[in-house]
Amino acid sequence: MTPQERTAWVFTAPVLTIITVVFLAPTILALALSVTDYSIYAAADVRNISFVGLGNFGELFSTPLFWRALGNTALFAVLGVPMAIGASLFAALLLNDASVRWKPFWRVALFAPYVTSVVATAIVWRFVLNTRFGLLNYALDLIGIGPVDWLGDPRSSIPAILIFVTWKIFGYNMIVFTAALSTVPTHLMEAARLDGASRWARFRDVTLPAIGPTLLLAAVMSVAGFLQIFAEPYIMTMGGPAQSTVTVLYFMFDEGFKWWNLGQASAVALILFVLILAVTFVQTRIGKRYEWL
Amino acid sequence: MLGMIPAAMLAAACSPRRDPNALVLWAMSYQGDYSPYLTTRFTADTGIPVEVQSIPWTAAHEKLLTAHAGGVLPDVLMLPNSWISEFQMIGAIAAVPSPTLVSGLFPGLVEGSRISGRDYAVPWSVAPLVQYYRRDILEDAGYATPPVTWDGWRTMAARIKRRRPDDHVFLALVNYEGWLFTMLAQNGAYPLRERDTRGNFRTPEAREAFAYYASLFRDGYAPLASSTEIQDPLAAFAAGQFAIWEGGATWLLDMRRRAAELPPERWGAARVAGPRGPGPTSAKDVSLSVSTTSHRPAEAWALVRHLTSSESELRFATMISTLPARVDAWDGLDIPPRVLQPFREQAHDLAVSPMVVGWERIQIEVQLIAERIVRGLMTIDEGLAEADRRADRILAKRRSLVESGRIA
Amino acid sequence: MAVRIGRRRTRAIVMNGAVAGLTAVTLVPLVWMVLVSFMPRYASSRFPPPFWPERWSLENYHELLVRRLYEGVWFDYRVLPALWNSLWVAGVATVLALLLTVPAGYAFAKLEFRGRDRLLKLLIASLVIPGQVAMLPLFLMLRWVGLVNSYAGVILPSLAGIFAVLFVRQATRAIPDEMIQAARLDGASEMQIFRTVILPLLAPVTVTLAVFTFLASWNDFLWPLIVLTDHAKYTLPVAVASIVREHAADGELMMASAVVTTLPVLAIFLALQRYYMTGLLGGSVKG
Repeated sequence: MTPQERTAWVFTAPVLTIITVVFLAPTILALALSVTDYSIYAAADVRNISFVGLGNFGELFSTPLFWRALGNTALFAVLGVPMAIGASLFAALLLNDASVRWKPFWRVALFAPYVTSVVATAIVWRFVLNTRFGLLNYALDLIGIGPVDWLGDPRSSIPAILIFVTWKIFGYNMIVFTAALSTVPTHLMEAARLDGASRWARFRDVTLPAIGPTLLLAAVMSVAGFLQIFAEPYIMTMGGPAQSTVTVLYFMFDEGFKWWNLGQASAVALILFVLILAVTFVQTRIGKRYEWL
Repeated sequence: MLGMIPAAMLAAACSPRRDPNALVLWAMSYQGDYSPYLTTRFTADTGIPVEVQSIPWTAAHEKLLTAHAGGVLPDVLMLPNSWISEFQMIGAIAAVPSPTLVSGLFPGLVEGSRISGRDYAVPWSVAPLVQYYRRDILEDAGYATPPVTWDGWRTMAARIKRRRPDDHVFLALVNYEGWLFTMLAQNGAYPLRERDTRGNFRTPEAREAFAYYASLFRDGYAPLASSTEIQDPLAAFAAGQFAIWEGGATWLLDMRRRAAELPPERWGAARVAGPRGPGPTSAKDVSLSVSTTSHRPAEAWALVRHLTSSESELRFATMISTLPARVDAWDGLDIPPRVLQPFREQAHDLAVSPMVVGWERIQIEVQLIAERIVRGLMTIDEGLAEADRRADRILAKRRSLVESGRIA
Repeated sequence: MAVRIGRRRTRAIVMNGAVAGLTAVTLVPLVWMVLVSFMPRYASSRFPPPFWPERWSLENYHELLVRRLYEGVWFDYRVLPALWNSLWVAGVATVLALLLTVPAGYAFAKLEFRGRDRLLKLLIASLVIPGQVAMLPLFLMLRWVGLVNSYAGVILPSLAGIFAVLFVRQATRAIPDEMIQAARLDGASEMQIFRTVILPLLAPVTVTLAVFTFLASWNDFLWPLIVLTDHAKYTLPVAVASIVREHAADGELMMASAVVTTLPVLAIFLALQRYYMTGLLGGSVKG
């Protein structure tokens, strides 16, 4: 082995071992668990496990709460991704404008929510969203909108959590888009302006193609992130009211750690994996079509 | 440089020092928060320090299961009676070594949690249900005390509703399973069959209970509301929006604290109405167990003995309004006799709940079905069939183990 | 000409105003959090919600952080121990993560070895697997080796830094090959090259990665919640979460615990934000 190879193995072996042990091996184990009926009876006696093939999946598909969780998660993603990406893009465009001063200060301030802990800010927002004493309803009251039972009404619980999530994460993609916006070719922009193109036309024809790939990547990662929402419903609503904020991951957590049905829970994990894989696949296809990737 | 890695990992495996001599006690909610008051006396008497950890109910099941999985269960743990068989099956709790620990208790408590003739937990408190009623509203309708039969309840409810059409009579929340399961117990409808491996909801008794439950909502006596719509039941009760609330002894604590909102002369307590007179009620009694992985079982059982002594249980009754499991402790309770009487009678008439893994899930599922029934989304017969289906599914693993003879 | 300047001035006012407004709205929850934490008990349960404390009070922090003797019994939320636990766990996790991923990133970028490209493809492919798939079996595995309820169990999964390795690799590719070749020709060993040539150049990347890892470990909630059952070992988010479940009505106390959780993180972020932002922006944007 060359000295390079020797060093390379010394450098990479530790982290690769850990990745295999902590990540790849459990994933395979999850596959194995998902075709058994590992449950609390197995905790009593290992011989109580039996192989059930696709039985777990069949049972999942006939469990109404599972479909509810899928629907809620889809709703989170469908509403949340545009909200989050839109907010990030809006903030990035604002900050990108030449007439704005003290940009580093604004950037840091707008990014601050991202580095805070979900637990702490979920507590704060639970208070902000309080029906009677919360800031949000107070602000709405000032413009004449009646109090909304954000976290107590099944219809508004998902939007409530999404408002919080958007607030928390928009800073990250704002920075990413800021970097992307700096690559917009200024000469094209100048040319468009001299040609008298409207601001929207300039955005659509010059800015958008330049930041397209970044937008797509951010959207892909956002979808994957929204499909894995757990901490926010866990802290703010405990899956309620009326199970309206139970997500796939929340369902998996309950099934796996509360009732110890690890077989079924692993089946849910695999379904989640397939979903994320499918979404990633679809979006890369779209990207290839528009030659953005 | 890379040699630092194993050293750092070793450092990571170390944990903060804790008193190795201390016994560890886990309890939920109020019991967890107030146990230190009881354990200081134990420490003073025996010199053994006790560390109390309070767990919220919402996280209790997972915390206990993961602790068992990791072999880090505490020396003494509090368990609701419905979990005892589950934790015994997975080998988490030890058998009670001395019969004196479980003597002098309400009869239903010990028999109800015995497994194969052995006891695995010492009952700590008993939690019978009673109906709290608004004296003034009932008197206005011509009743000094509430009826204790189902028909009597309906007659009274009709009279109250006529006088107060905008209010309801019974505070039965649609996401709370206590009312329906009490009715099932009173009508003699044991919910499982075939050695607790299948649902038994399609019996005439169960059907009667469901029909009665649904009729209360249909006729407007109970509101179509869940705990998210009525977040403060006591305030609603005090405001006269309801005349009857079925609850346990811990409500006495809230009512004592908020006597300004609801003065004691305005409410009373009576036995819950049953189909032909009062019957057994479902309850959330709790017990204490010692884990099988405790390093000091003798001291752990001494702590259990101390916590379940009459003085300790009475102290708890004063602080957090839990009723003692010890019969003779009731003589020292500071509750007016007219309020204590229904609790006492009910404590001698406890319902027998199935002691199987998954019972809690079945209750949750059945209550969801009941909610659909009362909202008119399902007929009663459809609901009963669905309840059986779901119970069968939840018990599937148990069924296969029983059929193959691996479980008694 | 005057109109032109006037319009530019108006635009500047509008744009700066918009940015300032957005920032204000974004920071309001955090500011309110701090203000409410200094209010006396139950002062915030009013409509309209008060924004400024009528009376500044330290009672919430006192209750949260100080062990109190009440009728002969000690009551303690154990927030300060949890803070130290979090510091310890996050610190160890960061150091270990750096030790593991920086050399690996360099190796994937600049060193020639068999199977490099195949391994790289495998790494990128495994980015798609959500971490939660591995969570349940990993817990079972920890149980088999007796690492449940230990800090090693908490830190271990965070060391599988696929993203970090790729991040370092990306940054290392910018280093010109000629420098490394020249050092090799001078007779330096691979280790020496790494230590003396590469590491100094990777300093900003290392700092960014360190800040990322520390923040991620500090804020990690779900895994410590599952693995740690002993409240003496709780990290800060887990400790705070268990307080919150029980004391939902005590807004001021909750805000105080939120402040204690957020403040260290914000402080670190503000101190190191230049590196953090540079790392994220890739040095392409100037102030």
